[in-house]
Amino acid sequence: MSMSAPTGGSNLNNDMNVTPMIDVLLVLLIIFMMIIPMSRKALDAQLPDPTPQPASQVNTDQIVLEVLPDDKYAVNKEPVEKKEVLARLKAIFDPRPEKIIFVKGDTTVAYGNVIWAMDQARGAGVKVIGIPPK
Amino acid sequence: MGMSVSGGGVKAEPNVTPMIDVMLVLLIIFMITIPQINAGFKAVPPEGQNLKPHPEEEGDQVLGIDDQGRYYLNKKPIRNEDAATLVGQIYLTERPDYIMYVKAHKDLAYLKVIDALDMLSRNGVRVAALITEQTPNTESLVESDRLLAPKSGGK
Repeated sequence: MSMSAPTGGSNLNNDMNVTPMIDVLLVLLIIFMMIIPMSRKALDAQLPDPTPQPASQVNTDQIVLEVLPDDKYAVNKEPVEKKEVLARLKAIFDPRPEKIIFVKGDTTVAYGNVIWAMDQARGAGVKVIGIPPK
Repeated sequence: MGMSVSGGGVKAEPNVTPMIDVMLVLLIIFMITIPQINAGFKAVPPEGQNLKPHPEEEGDQVLGIDDQGRYYLNKKPIRNEDAATLVGQIYLTERPDYIMYVKAHKDLAYLKVIDALDMLSRNGVRVAALITEQTPNTESLVESDRLLAPKSGGK
């Protein structure tokens, strides 16, 4: 097996060691492929029943968060400052067993504001967000 | 660099250069195509903090509403008046779930969104998952969301 002494330096290995680079590339590729579909996030909103039952039992103790124009908010018709919304909802939902809220947005407000309100509600411990019928 | 004595001159490593070429090309293709996937559908979803992860799955239906209020069903533009029929064809049948993803532009008047949600509710959709992006450098305050955070093989 012993090699004879090279005559033209052909035994000198000039190739770069690329194996670590391939490893890194493969890992990058895999990370990319995994993250793209996994990173989607959403807020679940229960849509109203299209065939509502006649109001046999009127639920009086439901919480309705209203999103009003000009960045104003109201919980059960009572105006709440934007920065107090979260604290207010927390105070309501901490002792409540039913973590259900209805988020009612004024038709003129930006969609982003309604999402903000739903976001705060989830932050206050709400589990189910309902959209009231139109 | 020095001369090897014990058979080091025999090269047993595979030639990996073509493989790197392929990898690099794949990487570049991915990087280019990702932004293009959403081309033609201009909607910037709103940002939020306390969001629930919804990894993409086969059979997910996405209703897009762009900044002009136009509808897209699974990224294909559809006429707004056809939307009810198309959604009904999907959801007024037996399905494993009745959840529809709604990706709407953040500055859209809520009227347009509520119109869409109303249309969905009348065509068999029970839950609308409103697609929202995580505000950078925030984490959901809801514990179960964090447990659901991206993990391979999760549902």
